[in-house]
Amino acid sequence: MEAKHDVLVVGAGCAGMRAAIEAFDAGADVAMISKIHPTRSHSGAAEGGINAALGNASEDDPETHAFDTVKGSDYLGDQDAIQILCDEAPDDVYQLEHWGAVFSRTEDGRIAQRPFGAAGAPRTAYAADITGHVLVQVLYEQVVKRDILTYEEWFAWKLVVEDDRCQGVICWDLLNGGLKAIGAKTVILATGGAGRLYTGTTNAYACTGDGMTLALRAGVALKDMEMMQFHPTTLAPTGVLITEGCRGEGAYLLNSEGERFLKTYAPNAMELASRDVISRAEQTEIDEGRGVNGNVLLDMRHLGAEKIIERLHGTRELSLTFAGVDPIYEPIPVRPGAHYHMGGVDTDVWGLTSLEGLYAAGEVACVSVHGANRLGGNALMETITYGKRSGRHAAEWALANTTVTVPESVLSDAERELKTLLDRRDGERPWRIRDELAITMHENFGVFRREDQMQKQGDIVEGLRERYERVVVEDKGNVFNSDLTQALELGFLLELAQCMVVCGIARKESRGAHARPHDYPERDDENFLKHTLVTWDDGPELDWKPVTMTKWEPKERTY
Amino acid sequence: MATIETAEQTMQVKLKIWRFDSSTGERALKEYEVEAPEWVTLLDVLDIIKDRVDGSLAYRKSCRMMICGSCGMRMDGAAVLACKTRMYEIVQAGHVPVISAMGNLPIHKDLVVDMEPFWQKFNAMKPWLQPGYEEPPEGKEYRVSQERTKVIEKEALCINCGCCVSECNAMESSPAFLGPQALAKGMRFVGDARDAATVERLEDYSGEHGIWECTRCYFCNERCPKGVDPRDAIAKLGAEAVKQGVDQDMGVKHAKWFIKSTETTGWLRETELVPKTQGVISAISQMKFAMKLARHGKVPIPVPPHVADKVDEARALHKVVHEQGRLGYDGIVQGERALAKLDYHLREEDKTEETEA
Amino acid sequence: MKQVAYYKGCLAALSAKELDTSTQALAPKVGLELIDLESVTCCGAGDIHEAEPDYYLHLNARILAYAEATGSDTLMTICNVCTLNLRQADFMLKGDEALMARVNTNLAAVGVPPYSGAVEVKHFLWIVAEGEGYELLKTSAHKGLKGVKIAPFYGCQILRPSKLLGFEDPDRPWSLERIIEACGGEVVDYPAKIKCCGFPIIQAREETALGELVQPIEQAIERGADAIVTPCPLCHLSLDAWQQKLNAARDKEGLEPLQPMPIFHLSQLIGVAAGIEESELKFKRHVVSMRPVLEKLEV
Repeated sequence: MEAKHDVLVVGAGCAGMRAAIEAFDAGADVAMISKIHPTRSHSGAAEGGINAALGNASEDDPETHAFDTVKGSDYLGDQDAIQILCDEAPDDVYQLEHWGAVFSRTEDGRIAQRPFGAAGAPRTAYAADITGHVLVQVLYEQVVKRDILTYEEWFAWKLVVEDDRCQGVICWDLLNGGLKAIGAKTVILATGGAGRLYTGTTNAYACTGDGMTLALRAGVALKDMEMMQFHPTTLAPTGVLITEGCRGEGAYLLNSEGERFLKTYAPNAMELASRDVISRAEQTEIDEGRGVNGNVLLDMRHLGAEKIIERLHGTRELSLTFAGVDPIYEPIPVRPGAHYHMGGVDTDVWGLTSLEGLYAAGEVACVSVHGANRLGGNALMETITYGKRSGRHAAEWALANTTVTVPESVLSDAERELKTLLDRRDGERPWRIRDELAITMHENFGVFRREDQMQKQGDIVEGLRERYERVVVEDKGNVFNSDLTQALELGFLLELAQCMVVCGIARKESRGAHARPHDYPERDDENFLKHTLVTWDDGPELDWKPVTMTKWEPKERTY
Repeated sequence: MATIETAEQTMQVKLKIWRFDSSTGERALKEYEVEAPEWVTLLDVLDIIKDRVDGSLAYRKSCRMMICGSCGMRMDGAAVLACKTRMYEIVQAGHVPVISAMGNLPIHKDLVVDMEPFWQKFNAMKPWLQPGYEEPPEGKEYRVSQERTKVIEKEALCINCGCCVSECNAMESSPAFLGPQALAKGMRFVGDARDAATVERLEDYSGEHGIWECTRCYFCNERCPKGVDPRDAIAKLGAEAVKQGVDQDMGVKHAKWFIKSTETTGWLRETELVPKTQGVISAISQMKFAMKLARHGKVPIPVPPHVADKVDEARALHKVVHEQGRLGYDGIVQGERALAKLDYHLREEDKTEETEA
Repeated sequence: MKQVAYYKGCLAALSAKELDTSTQALAPKVGLELIDLESVTCCGAGDIHEAEPDYYLHLNARILAYAEATGSDTLMTICNVCTLNLRQADFMLKGDEALMARVNTNLAAVGVPPYSGAVEVKHFLWIVAEGEGYELLKTSAHKGLKGVKIAPFYGCQILRPSKLLGFEDPDRPWSLERIIEACGGEVVDYPAKIKCCGFPIIQAREETALGELVQPIEQAIERGADAIVTPCPLCHLSLDAWQQKLNAARDKEGLEPLQPMPIFHLSQLIGVAAGIEESELKFKRHVVSMRPVLEKLEV
């Protein structure tokens, strides 16, 4: 064992850092592992804002926030978890401000809030259009203040499971090489999402679903894996994110005929309907020939230069750099892109999984607060509130338990496995498998899904997994071997893809982000008001789990 | 880097990359040529090379959208974010750029630098809020106006990419210099209305390798991909240090003599600059140097003083400025709105009253 | 003849008088009529910008106002630092009506005419590097530099921040090279030509500054330059007067002294090529003797 800790957090984005801070403040010996420096985490790319019923822009309360979230989830969200999120959100946001988060302000100096998709009131607290960046910075400042140990640029590869407990993590030291075992009484997975499953994604290269597969391989179930959110406004060709905040400030979505086409699909909320509704609307317009080179148009010209420069400066920079378009003068061509995984590691409202000692928080987890579709601004809120909760619970449990066991064999087994991979010289380079996975997922498991395409995708993924058995890592060295870590990441993605397809086929209805307009166009509460649950036993095994309903009965969902 | 675009136009991209193996200390310039879509950035090209030509090429990357700060590297000796650097125009111009690791930091492997010294300087700024207030009423947010928030808006943009540090001339000569990134982070706190440790911070940042070691080369402003303008952040710190009376450094004394000169003779009173800055004893020890300068007329005789015309206007202006109290960093912040317009690239006909005011 | 308001700055007024005299002598040959600004002060350099930025803005606004009062649309500078300071203040005023109004009110209160933004600040280097100024330079440089090897040293604040200066690519400037060649000299290229001479901290942090200063001098020597030319009197002071300090520091470390490297002001270099008298160019005022290169130039 390299070292031993009370709480070991894997991933140092908003959820990871918030969990570590909470665990530290609760008196635990806590450390973080991150395959990239904490401030590089993809939480920093979040733009539009963080939701809480502060009531600074209008009358608001946690109850309304909760209902909006439940409805937004297409009634698949667990209402107890959602209530907790919305109740604790305001204090959690104030805590961030007390730590120094640089929020934009109202006229009277309070935290500014803007309207966002599917919200009954403007409750998205923001910092221009770089809210994620601002939160990552303030959390990192608090991490530095507490001098929290971070195993930086260490790649978490396997969980150590011993005596039916998670007792640590096996990592590859990316900076200097070598497999290391770190023992811990509790492990909190905070590794984010898996957007890299798709071509055209808002996600960073680092978003390869690591924590989900780690949990899966440790025998823990993943929930609602078919639920991948496609963000309506991403740039071609790679999927760079253009924030919902643009629409919050009043931007329009137009088709090739210059119409605000959402009047057909969401006549009340229009551009501020929920993301799945808008992505489907866009995809329909594009498929039916009213797109512009495979995109629709996000028009902000009427907002005026002043407002765009003041509140959407980052957006303008992205648009100029990656689309060659100045939104002050021209509409930005956008289209749906894989963005956020509502599904993930099955946890309770404290972030605890079915494996003792193992927690998950943030995008990697599925509590579920987002159900079949997430509201913009709720993801950042989840990282903070559930990061905090899992950090606290893990610390309390760790402080009440004393042992950590990491048998020698665990490390030596891992070393053998790694050697097999590194020794291989005949085979295929990962990039072909990776690219084929991403392109086929986009084609067969995207915004709209059909039985035959999903079946086909299942076969494709199986074939890719077979080819992966022969994957070749060219760099055999120890120093900064990202060739190796990228190959391991591909392995994570392939297992997740398999799970997602199985769940997608099994859910024979359309709900939230899982849209089957050709074979199952309606939502079917009688048969499918439940979560998919997948475990791994040499392949995905499917099960179901009921949705927790406390206050709200499912109703028709229109915007 | 797969995409679903059909009929993508491609181009041949040539690069030279400085490879470095830290275990052997071997450095080698290697040339690469790959086919890539026309829309690619430098980062995309590195990916293609790593995937299809040489898997051992090492570089950092993550977001590919200019916010994580991972991919700082030098192109033709100037630090850039690889994900922000479009290759089309470079290829069209027939140019073969040379890619190397960022400067002023030890190279770990190829384009990966050891960021430890960078983070150490960051940590040395005590980069966390030190609130000096009671918890705000009802546990809610501390009230800060948008105007006061704007004071640190630019510094808050910093993504810690290292491009500013890469070409810092002062740091190259004096590696212990705190540098533009750390000092800009320091200004983020000095300018934060909620932070109570202003004077303490200014004292910390005014040490041997702090604010007053900045050589004003402006490479940091030029290289920063986010518009932080670290040199201006350092100037804001300097202004605030003077305002708060943290003024014992030679750098401050030097500056104060400039101010005094404008009020008395208009032009800089060069002759007295050395003793005023470095003290009489140091000035005496530099007598030999001064005499050599004097022989060539480089030490203007201060008597009779060369006084500019209407100097009393300058004196009066100084008094007016002090009365109006826009001291410290406010003097620089007041100009940020106008200077930002240089980045707007608005069309002439759209520069309306609204955007101008 | 183009009338320009002429702001010489502190050094040219005092310790670098040779810069002023050579510029004044050269001006008519390149089509410039200089209107010397008398009622002005130091521009404050980076020092006042850093210590009392509001005062810096007002001092420079006053210079701009007096320049405007001459009726010329151009304020010509002969120093990098003055150029950056004045241009920055100018942009701050031109881009913010309320700020300009406030500053003008203050100027009026002390008897200074207002500034309405009618002036553009240009370094002499820019005026003679292109257009009509360049054509006149070519014709007037009849004596030529006889192929003497000249290393251009730009210094920082004529290039960066490029959004405030904007005359040329800050990483690939060309103006000094073009002028050297037009005057019949041979350009010596070297990496440190765009780096910092260290002047702003040469008193407060001497060792650091010398670590910067040594680079252009060493590189120019390595590449066989006969002299360095610079458009900034502050860089000139570092390169010329502080060379001896460089050698004193090297001596302490047991290193050989660097061979002397003569430093030209830009106006002097063009002046030599244009046949201007030594009495105006005043080479004797330099600390490092110009004799070796002047001999090659048969001056």
